[in-house]
Amino acid sequence: MVTLVALLVPAAVASWLLTAGRGLGHRAVNLLSAAAAVLSLAAVVLAVVLRPEVDRAWVPSLGLRWHLAVDGISAPLLLLTAVLGVVVVLHTRDRPPVGGTSAAFHACLLLVELGALATFLARDALLFFVSFEVVLVPMWVLITRFGDAHRPAARADAGGRFVLYTAFGSTLMLVGILALVAAAGTSDLTAMAEAGGRGIPASTQLVVAALLVAGLAVKVPVFPLHTWLPPAHTTAPTAGSVLLAAVLLKMGTYGLVRLPLATVPDGFARVAPVLGVLGAVGIVWGGLACLVERDLKRLVAYSSVAHMGFVAIGLASGTRTGLQAALFANVAHGVISALLFVVVGGLKERWGGADLETARAALREVAPRLGFALVVGFAASLGLPGLAGFWGEFLSVYSAWSPAPDRPLALFRTLAVVAALGTVLAAAYALRVLRTVWAGERRTPAIQDSRDTEWDVVVVLLVAVVALGVVPGPLLALTHDTVSLLVGAAR
Amino acid sequence: MATLDWVALGPVLAPALGAVVVLVVDAAAPRLVRVHHALGLAALVVGLAVALPGAVSSTGAPVRTLCLSGRAAACLYEVGPVAAALQLGALASALVVLLLLWPDRRASLRGGPAVLVALVLAATAGASGVAAAHDLGSWLVCLELATLPVIALVALRGTTEAGRGALALLTTSLVSFALVVLGAALWLLATGQAVFAPEAVSAALDDPERRAVLLLGVLLLLAGVGFKLSLVPFHVWTPQAYAGGSEAVAAFLAATSKIAALAALVVVLQPLVLAGAPVLVAVGVVAAVTMTVGNLLALAQDDPVRLLAWSTVAQAGWVVLPLSAASPGSTAASGAYLLAYVVATLVAFVVVHVLAVGGAPRTLAASTGLLRSRPLLGGALGLALLSLAGLPPGVLGLVAKVVALRPVVAEGQWLLALVAVANAVVGIAVYLRWFAVLLRDPVAQEGVEAAQPQAGGEAPGAGPLGGRVARPVLVALVLSSGLLVATSVLPQLLLGLLE
Repeated sequence: MVTLVALLVPAAVASWLLTAGRGLGHRAVNLLSAAAAVLSLAAVVLAVVLRPEVDRAWVPSLGLRWHLAVDGISAPLLLLTAVLGVVVVLHTRDRPPVGGTSAAFHACLLLVELGALATFLARDALLFFVSFEVVLVPMWVLITRFGDAHRPAARADAGGRFVLYTAFGSTLMLVGILALVAAAGTSDLTAMAEAGGRGIPASTQLVVAALLVAGLAVKVPVFPLHTWLPPAHTTAPTAGSVLLAAVLLKMGTYGLVRLPLATVPDGFARVAPVLGVLGAVGIVWGGLACLVERDLKRLVAYSSVAHMGFVAIGLASGTRTGLQAALFANVAHGVISALLFVVVGGLKERWGGADLETARAALREVAPRLGFALVVGFAASLGLPGLAGFWGEFLSVYSAWSPAPDRPLALFRTLAVVAALGTVLAAAYALRVLRTVWAGERRTPAIQDSRDTEWDVVVVLLVAVVALGVVPGPLLALTHDTVSLLVGAAR
Repeated sequence: MATLDWVALGPVLAPALGAVVVLVVDAAAPRLVRVHHALGLAALVVGLAVALPGAVSSTGAPVRTLCLSGRAAACLYEVGPVAAALQLGALASALVVLLLLWPDRRASLRGGPAVLVALVLAATAGASGVAAAHDLGSWLVCLELATLPVIALVALRGTTEAGRGALALLTTSLVSFALVVLGAALWLLATGQAVFAPEAVSAALDDPERRAVLLLGVLLLLAGVGFKLSLVPFHVWTPQAYAGGSEAVAAFLAATSKIAALAALVVVLQPLVLAGAPVLVAVGVVAAVTMTVGNLLALAQDDPVRLLAWSTVAQAGWVVLPLSAASPGSTAASGAYLLAYVVATLVAFVVVHVLAVGGAPRTLAASTGLLRSRPLLGGALGLALLSLAGLPPGVLGLVAKVVALRPVVAEGQWLLALVAVANAVVGIAVYLRWFAVLLRDPVAQEGVEAAQPQAGGEAPGAGPLGGRVARPVLVALVLSSGLLVATSVLPQLLLGLLE
């Protein structure tokens, strides 16, 4: 029941905003959406505590069911999504969207939240696919309609790229899911995870795992398939960038855990080295791109590619620690990238651009709050101990150093070394950004510092970044049991 | 078992008799313009009313009638769940088309309303009949009955373009008829009987000499029906005929005619699917090529009707895709995909019809900002396009893609599945390109209308529609888009028909 409330409230409010509530003013729309997001958050918190399960038939001829449940893997992501759902609405309060009606903007935000929540709740493989697709159109609208007002051509290009790349990935995933369902005889993810791939021949497992990993890798994104991400991030409005980085990318990694890793472990074990290598390449590639990138927003987007590389390596290692690390890094990256995009998006608005080569006033001097948030964000992003980014990346490198017995040891040790070098790159680009943007004496042109809801949002995210870094225990404990179950079934 | 079951024949007889009655009334009282349409609508409603109970509560056991000597194999009329659903779809889509053709002050097609209505009803009777035909004779007659009136419908618009379109359609139909007749003759030669029976087909397939004849016959039948279904390389007439006819006639071509063609194909392929014949490979190749060509050309169109025409070609590829898998559920999957497509494309055609009122140029730009200036129309068209693209909130289209891919993947035809994946992506590009136009800012002079719903809130009236829409067209819009919304929320409403 609670899970249904979490989904129905954003769905109902979004449909109302798109139909009857079209003419409402910005404040009213924002208030309504905030209420919906908060209600949804409350329902999600209740659901995480109570762990209810819903199982109803939807399309019997396909075996498609409304099967929703919460477990240790989905709980952190559900909380992250619901919290960020509130955050993005609050963040929009003082900045009426340009490019379309406020109602449409908020409806899109709520629909993205709905799709993400449904994806994390779904326990039916086909329902997972349908929910996965729900986010596409609203996100596309956010990018093409409400994105960077100065460059309409870039908006259309970025939006189109986003939709086509991710739709390609998800349709590929659909083929994998259909093959999996045909082989397993059920579309129930819990049942398939319990079976752990038993009864599915090795060759089928390999095909299914390859299809699923390839499809989901687009969303994550893993190295050669990441080219949609930087333009999408650069042009999307701040709220869209936050959702994109903190929620949508997580759907990809979550899918990797829920689908290939849990249901066809033997097939996944054979694909894992490739995933690991691509993850490591992504770390280095993203880091190098960040060293030369001139657009600050795009730089943060490339750093996402690098961070997702760590998640991919953790998943590929096949150990409990690796999986835990991946899930932790997932959530940590969600919080950190949300923080960075709020700050960087705010800076872009104030500066009227995000080019790093343009001489600007030093943040330390003119906008100490924003400057502080940027420093913490980049420090967390480079994996400084005591901040959220550290644990996931540290554990991920550790798990690659000692992977599961059936993984090629030498290869994974090399990956561990490469990933560790990647953190050095991260330090380098973080310092590069801070040196150009934050440090210095220049005081013109002055910009306004962060305040009101923007600052509230930043504070919430800052607290989360620090809290995850200082006390990682609760989150690791939350995922622990389910992870043991998954890795246990795989052995 | 009764040898003549009037109720079972109802879905065919109602439109056929309706056509006759309309012509008789026209002869007796030619001035009663609207009565013809009312009679036509009534005939279709009666047909629907007769077909609905059978389609909804079907137990899976086919209803048979016109049986020659009481043997099940020798029945000339057989309605299983798939056929019943297709009949329902044909009648319902014809109903929407007839509403669009309702005479108003706008320059209508030539020939007078009675001829129009009679032609639509006759073609519908053919479509409904071919789905249930179980022998070569009635199959051929019904197939042609479903085709020939449409040529007249296209030609009756009277413009040069219409003449060209009708000519293309006529030539195509003649070639297709020749192929089909030859194929039917070979089929008869190979199986030794004029009834579509799986046993006779498998017997023929086992005998190497008869096997070659049968396969050649099936290929010819496939080619002949391929013309009607707009499968590549037999698709060239499609954009010409669509653009030549009025929007309503194009809608008929896209919906009812396609149902007839698929129904014809299913009747032929059903025994072969059960026998797992090698012809199915050809179906797979045709499906892959068709969807690719259709999507790529649809990407370059600027006339919405031509875009929808090429989209028909692409979707026809998706429709036959599941038939390439020799599994029992593949005909149902194919039918389900077609019906989902028909619902969405009808909505799109209704909106295009409304937009074309007053002879406005038919370009994509004509729908600029429709979502804000005329929210009801824009919303309906937007949902239809997303459904055709297979993206939520057009859940119906998404579910249809799943349904179509499922047999292919289950059979392990990876190459075909990958082609379909690529086409799903190109298809999204096709429809989002149009959707992006709807999403733009309305053109300046629409400002007054755009402000209206803001002031009036939920007040109905001219606001959401943004202009006068004839009442029958409004009914068509509400019916078709209501169905689209309902089936998007509960796809089982549609998929359940085919089980």
